[in-house]
Amino acid sequence: MSNTPYDASRLQPELAQLRAALRTVEAPAVDEAALRAQFLEMRQRRAQNAAGQRARRSWRLPLAAAAAVVLALGGILAAVVMRAEPTASVLVPVAAVQPEAASAAVSAFQPLQNSPSLSPSSSYNVVRVRIPLSAFAVVPGTQQGGSIEADLLVGEDGLARAIRFNEADALLVSVAKQ
Amino acid sequence: MDQTDPGSNDVVDVRLLAEIVGGVEQSFVELYRRRHNDVYRFVFAMAKSRSFAQDVTQEVFLNVLENASRFDSAKGTVRAWLFGCARHVTLDRLRLERRWTDDMPPDLGTPNSDERLLADQRVERLHAAIARLPVEYREALVLFELQELTYAETAAVLDCPIGTVRSRLHRGRVLLATMLDETEQAALDLKPSVAASLQTREVCS
Repeated sequence: MSNTPYDASRLQPELAQLRAALRTVEAPAVDEAALRAQFLEMRQRRAQNAAGQRARRSWRLPLAAAAAVVLALGGILAAVVMRAEPTASVLVPVAAVQPEAASAAVSAFQPLQNSPSLSPSSSYNVVRVRIPLSAFAVVPGTQQGGSIEADLLVGEDGLARAIRFNEADALLVSVAKQ
Repeated sequence: MDQTDPGSNDVVDVRLLAEIVGGVEQSFVELYRRRHNDVYRFVFAMAKSRSFAQDVTQEVFLNVLENASRFDSAKGTVRAWLFGCARHVTLDRLRLERRWTDDMPPDLGTPNSDERLLADQRVERLHAAIARLPVEYREALVLFELQELTYAETAAVLDCPIGTVRSRLHRGRVLLATMLDETEQAALDLKPSVAASLQTREVCS
C-alpha cells in the first residue's frame, strides 16, 4: 500500500487516538430511581414465577396419583371389554346357520336351545366371549381350568340366538359335548 | 472506571453479580455505575450512534437482572461477560433494523484548534470506517483494539478460538487500511473538482 495515500503504519497510532477519544465518551445520565424500580419489578416478577412454579410442583403428586388411578381404571375397563368384545355389528345370513349345517361344521353358528328362532329380515350382533371350561364339565377328566373363545350371535332384543366356537377350541368343545 | 487493578475490580464485580442474584438492589445500582460506561462505549464503537448505544446499554442491564445467575467466572471477567451480552443485543438490533453501518453524526468532543480538528477528522474517519467493516472484523477490532481486551477475553466474548480472533484482527486491519486508503483517495480526487467548482461559481457571480 505504499503507492496509496493512506500509510498503513498510521493505523495503530490512529487506533490509539480513537481509543483515547472513546474513553472520554460518557453514557448519558440515567435516573437511578428508574433503575431501582426496574430491579424491584424484576425481583417481584421472579418471586411470582417462583411461587407459580412451587404451586405447580405441589399439584404434581396428586395429579400423578389421579392419573395413575385413571389409567388403572382404564386398564381394568379395557380388560373387561376385551373379555366380551363385540367384534362386529353385522347382518348374518340366516341360511348359513341352519341347524343341519351347524351340526356338520363346528365353526358355524349353532342355534341355542330355547331361544327365539332366527329370522332373515332381522339383524344380529356378533359378540366374542370367553367361556370357562367348567361350564361344560360333563366328562370326567376334562381340563377344568381353561377357557374357550366363542362368538355369540345376539339379536336386537339382546338375547343370544346362536353360538360359534373357534377352530382351535373345536376339539375341546366336541369333547365337552359328549 | 478504575483501571489500576483489573483483578480486584473483577472480584468486586463478581461479588456484586452474586448479590444481584440474591436480590440486593444496591448491588445492581453499583454494578451499573461501575460498568455502564464500558458497555456504552463498546456499543458506540460498534454502531457509532449514541442513541443506539444508550438503548442497548439499558437492555444489557435488564438482561443482567434476568441472567446474572448464568455468569461463569471460569469463562472470563464480568466486564467481558457484559461485552458478550452487549454484543448479542447489538447484533440482534442491527439485524432487526437491517442496519449494519451507522448514519449518525460523530460526536467525540469539541475541537479547540486546527490541529485538534485535523486529528478529530482522522479519528472520525477511522471510526466511520470501523463502523462500515463487516461485523465479524468490526467486533474483533473494537474489543481488542478499542476496549483493550486480551486475545483470550476477545475469543471468549466472540465465542470462537483465539486463532480465529487473530485472523479476524489481521484481516480487519488490512480491510480498514484499504477503506481508509480509498477514502483519502476519494478526498484527493474530489479536491480539484471542488476547487474548479468554486472557481466556476466565482466567475459566474
